[in-house]
Amino acid sequence: MTSRLSRREFVKRASALSFMGAGAPFALNLASIGAASAQAAPGYRAIVCLFLFGGNDHTNTIIPYDPAEHTEYANARQSIAFARDALTPTATAPVASQGNRPFAFHPALTAFKSLYDQGRLAVVANVGPLVVPTTLAQYRARSVPLPPKLFSHNDQQSVWQANQPVGEGARLGWGGRLGDLLAAQNGQTIFTCISAAGNAVFMSGQEVLQYQVGSNGSIAFNALTGSLYGSSSAGNAYRRVITRASGHLFENQLGQVVSRSISANATLAASLPPASSFTLPIPANNGLASQLNVVARIIAARGGLGTTRQVFFVSAGGYDNHDFLLDEHNRRLAGVNAAVDAFWQWLQQLQMESSVTLFTASDFGRTLTSNGDGSDHGWGAHHFVIGGAVQGGTIYGTFPQVRFGTPEDVGQGNLLPTTSVDQYAATLGRWLGVADTVMPDVLPNVVNFGASRYLGFLA
Amino acid sequence: MNFVTYSRRALLAAVLGSTALLLGACSGGGDDAPPQSSASVYVSAVTPEPVAQADASRFLAQASFGASMSAIDEVSADGYARWMDEQFAMPAGSPHQNYLVAVAASLPAGESPQDAHVMHAFWKQAATAPDQLRRRVGFALSQIFVVSLTNDAVAEHKRGVASYLDMLGREAFGNYRDLLEAVTLHPMMGLFLSHLRNQKESGNRIPDQNYAREVMQLFSIGLHELNPDGTPVLAGGQPVETYGQEDIVGLSRVFTGFSWAGPDTQNGRFFGSSNPAPDPNRDVLPMQAYPQFHSTLPKTFLGTTIPSQGSADPRASLRIALDTLAAHPNVAPFFGRQLIQRLVTSNPSPAYVARVSQAFNAGRYTRRDFTAGTGRRGDLRATIAAVLLDEEARDRAKTADPAFGKVREPVLRLAAWMRAFNSRSASGNYLLGVTDDAATSLGQSAMRAASVFNFYRPGYVPPNTAIAAANLVAPEFQIIHEVSVAGYANFMRSIVQSGAGSNSPRDIQADYAAELALASDPARLIDRIDLLLTYGTLSAETRSAMLEAVNSVPINASNPNPGRQNRVYLAALFALSAPEFLVQK
Repeated sequence: MTSRLSRREFVKRASALSFMGAGAPFALNLASIGAASAQAAPGYRAIVCLFLFGGNDHTNTIIPYDPAEHTEYANARQSIAFARDALTPTATAPVASQGNRPFAFHPALTAFKSLYDQGRLAVVANVGPLVVPTTLAQYRARSVPLPPKLFSHNDQQSVWQANQPVGEGARLGWGGRLGDLLAAQNGQTIFTCISAAGNAVFMSGQEVLQYQVGSNGSIAFNALTGSLYGSSSAGNAYRRVITRASGHLFENQLGQVVSRSISANATLAASLPPASSFTLPIPANNGLASQLNVVARIIAARGGLGTTRQVFFVSAGGYDNHDFLLDEHNRRLAGVNAAVDAFWQWLQQLQMESSVTLFTASDFGRTLTSNGDGSDHGWGAHHFVIGGAVQGGTIYGTFPQVRFGTPEDVGQGNLLPTTSVDQYAATLGRWLGVADTVMPDVLPNVVNFGASRYLGFLA
Repeated sequence: MNFVTYSRRALLAAVLGSTALLLGACSGGGDDAPPQSSASVYVSAVTPEPVAQADASRFLAQASFGASMSAIDEVSADGYARWMDEQFAMPAGSPHQNYLVAVAASLPAGESPQDAHVMHAFWKQAATAPDQLRRRVGFALSQIFVVSLTNDAVAEHKRGVASYLDMLGREAFGNYRDLLEAVTLHPMMGLFLSHLRNQKESGNRIPDQNYAREVMQLFSIGLHELNPDGTPVLAGGQPVETYGQEDIVGLSRVFTGFSWAGPDTQNGRFFGSSNPAPDPNRDVLPMQAYPQFHSTLPKTFLGTTIPSQGSADPRASLRIALDTLAAHPNVAPFFGRQLIQRLVTSNPSPAYVARVSQAFNAGRYTRRDFTAGTGRRGDLRATIAAVLLDEEARDRAKTADPAFGKVREPVLRLAAWMRAFNSRSASGNYLLGVTDDAATSLGQSAMRAASVFNFYRPGYVPPNTAIAAANLVAPEFQIIHEVSVAGYANFMRSIVQSGAGSNSPRDIQADYAAELALASDPARLIDRIDLLLTYGTLSAETRSAMLEAVNSVPINASNPNPGRQNRVYLAALFALSAPEFLVQK
């Protein structure tokens, strides 16, 4: 393993750049690659993006516990509010960073509360996509650039994941761009950005490609080993067909995915420990836990894979709670709570909990307003960062008053973010080893946030 | 041809399917029962226009769930237009719902149908329905007007989802405006996008905005103003947004006061409580209006204002809203382009989209002595004909265009196997269930998209690829990755040899008789499979690999069957895995 670019990697990168053309907006240059590599800390580090598809109802995820503030919350939310005494078991001590106001986690997030108390979980308040720091007056007057297509699911999923606010069709994600700058520290580039949850623009770099795993790791092509329908030689012919280069763009791309699948499986299958290597079994009927389990196993396989810097993507769906919010949100968050709790224990068994940071993301926050049984699409939201390296037990950013007519209320109690996704991302990227000087290559708008571009939740 | 108009009684029967029969609401058969086979009743007057077998097969890959030799012969003899004319005349029926009704009646007390039963109904129609065009377009519509069994509220109503699929098939040959209303009022859509039991504003509470947003973004006009050829209208170099948050707020008031159907409009029925007793058919009947829950505030959206109502009139509000959406100039290119993408190619030329828009807007499509459509704007027969008969869809030279075509989605790949090899179901019910798992099956199941955004987006670009560099979209690539390509190959390896579905032997078995007869003549065996699955487009490299593999299996003179079978399995699996098959061109 080397932190310097091999000649082969250099040629690959250079050709990737020329492929992107002169118009590539954030062209890498050798200096930036070198600078990023020079930042490399020893040992292994990974970030895990947990994306809650649908737009998590942040208002019922972290709730004011101060009696007066809770009353305002309850008045605003009516039938979809929690009673204050339901929040007592998950209530925090007064939070110094927020004027000693106490808050409570959603009652299902018991493990989150426990990690918070241990200082291993931080809350980041009211984070969302922004181009520049934006006031309510500026938003209303549209006098500063704003993210496109606010409040739209597919577009805001993309805006959150892309390296700058681009709606659906974005080509570059900030996870992928971090991967571009760190891939040289891995033995094989393919294992830099790994999704256990389907294709996501988050993982797309200029050269790094997302690699997909299932909940049991990679999948072998059965037809390529042993006899195929009574023929010992047909497997080789089959391989030629399924990996065939073609003049047709779609056909050729399919062949490339197949080739990548075959070669990566050969490496991963040889290194991946079984799920049974963990003392704690995978929580039953919990798809997110299965995803996090395979992530933990890939982290355990880092020696065999030659990986030292990785970006993972996992997800859970069902957060578009226009209806049945109290029931459904509770069920979904209970699943997340169990999955993250298990992941933490698996990391502890690996003694890797300080080398891995998990963070949440979601389409958007939701309205403070109730529609009777749920909430609607919003903007800013509260998120979680979890890991042994996290400076936790506190809330970063500014937790707004939970009522209508605040300086953050863009309508229906939707939050104008006071912390940008770029700041959130830059803080994670810097911990992973990307140098300050090249952070704008990953997140071009981060420069708009000046000296406050890092949030301090990671050492 | 005659345009069918339904009597109210016939419509009710169509909506209720065999439920009505079950409940004794009909006297049994008579004029309410759709004829079981109208292909023999309606003989098209369109002049036959024979086409080559390979061209017929290629057309069937776009217009049906896949070619069979009998369908190839039919299209080859009749030509595309005459075949389409006869397809348009076939009655819709309620085959998916009928199956769910039969299942429910056969289950032990306390058990209810599962998602798998919806899949059985889907596969049976895909594999065997004579009205293939209706079923194929209905499946395409299910990916534009999405409801999904992955939603907890929807998942409680399997029969409702089956009825939704039937509704799409029924409306597929009607008019866009009527389709939009049927979609809007179907209780499964009401549950999925939560406008069922949506209430007017009160105090801090405001109407649910979910349906108002998605009906504009996904079902009618899209985010940006479009030219008739589907390209964005630009102002100062930038796309022009079609609506803003204010339009959503205005339109959300329209979709208040609709909920479960029933004999009255009591509050309890609106909320779906047990008092009054729910209508037993509320899962398949269009939602009804409850004026007491409908907003009377002015409703302004897209330049239209429904004035404040002295007494709430949800039906009138809905009519104006859907008329406004359906009349928007975006609908033709927005909907037409997506229909092209589902059936023909991911990247249609602007001229192709414009021709489809023209047919949509004119409500009529004419080619020689074939006319589709009534002349009413939004006619879907005209639109479908324009999509499938367009020169860009039909020109065989396009199979050599490196950017033409679409990835065949996994469900369609398996359907193509079923049809090409005359699959039969031992039970008669095509007992293949959910195939969501990409690692072990298809990574896709009908009516189980992850969200209202379908399995993939029409604008999906696989990042960091030559496809992206060429500024092309490739929607189906959104579900193609290292796991799904291997999962599919392994799934098909097993199915080609052992059949598909539950039971032992598996319920769905191919009939390879015609292929087995060619097993000693590998070139002809490959020719036949090439015609069925890839309309004669297998490359020399793929053919040579297939030939090598087939020839590697000896046929033992004293016991020839195992060798013949293995040769057929090899040829079938190679074709089903070949890029020429996976990309439909």
